[in-house]
Amino acid sequence: MKTVANWFTAPIALARIAWLRTILYLFVILDMHAFVRDTRLKGEHPDLYKPLLLERLFHLPTPSVANTTALYYVLLVACLVGATNRFPRIAGWVVAPAFTWWVLIGMSDGKVDHDHLALTVALWVLPTVAPTKAGNPYADQTRSEAAGWVIRCVQISVICTYFLSSIAKLRGAGWTLAWPNSAILTWAIVRRPHPVGEWLLHHPWLLHVMQWVGIIGEFLSPAILWLKGRWQLMGALFFLGFHAANTAILLIHFLPTVVCWLAFAPLERIVPWWRARRTAEAAGAAEEAGAAGAAEATAGSARDAGEAEDEAEDRGQAKEQAGA
Amino acid sequence: MTGVKVSDDRAGDVRLGRIGKGVRVLVALAGIGLLINGSVQASDDAWPFGPMSQYAGSVADDASITYTRISAQTDAGTTVDVPLNIEGAGVARAEIEARTGEIVADPSKLQAVADGWAKKHPDKPKYVKLELIRDTTTLVKGRVVGPPKSEVLATWQVRR
Repeated sequence: MKTVANWFTAPIALARIAWLRTILYLFVILDMHAFVRDTRLKGEHPDLYKPLLLERLFHLPTPSVANTTALYYVLLVACLVGATNRFPRIAGWVVAPAFTWWVLIGMSDGKVDHDHLALTVALWVLPTVAPTKAGNPYADQTRSEAAGWVIRCVQISVICTYFLSSIAKLRGAGWTLAWPNSAILTWAIVRRPHPVGEWLLHHPWLLHVMQWVGIIGEFLSPAILWLKGRWQLMGALFFLGFHAANTAILLIHFLPTVVCWLAFAPLERIVPWWRARRTAEAAGAAEEAGAAGAAEATAGSARDAGEAEDEAEDRGQAKEQAGA
Repeated sequence: MTGVKVSDDRAGDVRLGRIGKGVRVLVALAGIGLLINGSVQASDDAWPFGPMSQYAGSVADDASITYTRISAQTDAGTTVDVPLNIEGAGVARAEIEARTGEIVADPSKLQAVADGWAKKHPDKPKYVKLELIRDTTTLVKGRVVGPPKSEVLATWQVRR
């Protein structure tokens, strides 16, 4: 029992949360303009509105020009604030319900997309982590169980998007394995014709191979949650390749899911890596300067020493936290 | 993920209290439960807890694949396929496909397509006549053979 609870809350550095806040809140702004972009249009044509379960459950108002415009600006401001990691919890608690409503309206015309699960979950869990109290949030190496839970939830949602797709394919075929041998990709290409797809129509066996690779990969995707290091990276690259293929064949990019793969990436190492690089560069510059002239060399090494001091300070801080 | 071992216990880690941890684990398990329920028995209506049913249907080797489009005659004398997206005529193909029955019963609904195009593209040729067309491709042993058969479902003379 305890092992299970610890698996859900394995500590992660707070810096990863800070990076995800910035990336995902900015992504939401992109999403509102590039992907789920017809929400305000639906406010102009409420006659096409067919509310989904959550909209009926919470008695959400029918979209209008007024409420979708307000929603747009509230989201824009909250995302910009959240992306700076200032007041991230307040901003986050505004973005989560607002964006969920935004997407609900966008999908209330009879067509529901399945690429927003991980992003929606990420927005709801991110505000549960208290921000870094002082210093650079992107460099905060303090590991927290609350952060670990957030990361785990996003990772599980990303994986669910694939694993549950394979379950839906079994269900769609009356709980049989008929899907991978069916003409589904042929059907999809005929309905969304483009050059790559039309070439593939002449090679149905290739489409069947893709269908088998797809469904087996989706079914085995939960293994990625337990893989480590390079093996996990290979798993992630497999699915990024899967999306590249889907984009080429079906013109479906799934970017809102793809961006959430970053929950698997050790983003907390960006700042230490960058600092180490700068220190090394400064050391190189100091050497060159040394060859050029003694006076400049002194300045160079002074700069170098200053940065080394910064590093030492960071390490000292980490130790202090380790002792706390 | 080289170097640091994530699973190592470290004294400096910020831990959760019993309740905080318990609630989080329960929320995660409940979410997973809702998602599994969605995949096993719910429909798209339950978003985000519905099934991941994109392209999850099985298509038989002898299936007829239909594709609905709107063809327009313009005041420049050309015949074009209406771009069925938000930037084009302001309606998505999925919407037209979902409402095919309504349009066949009342072709005047196509007026909105012409109006949408004219509003978004005031400098382009106007639509004078619209035809709702269904292309049917019938598969033979899972292969596409020959061009699709086209059937005009509804015709609408655009009001100016």
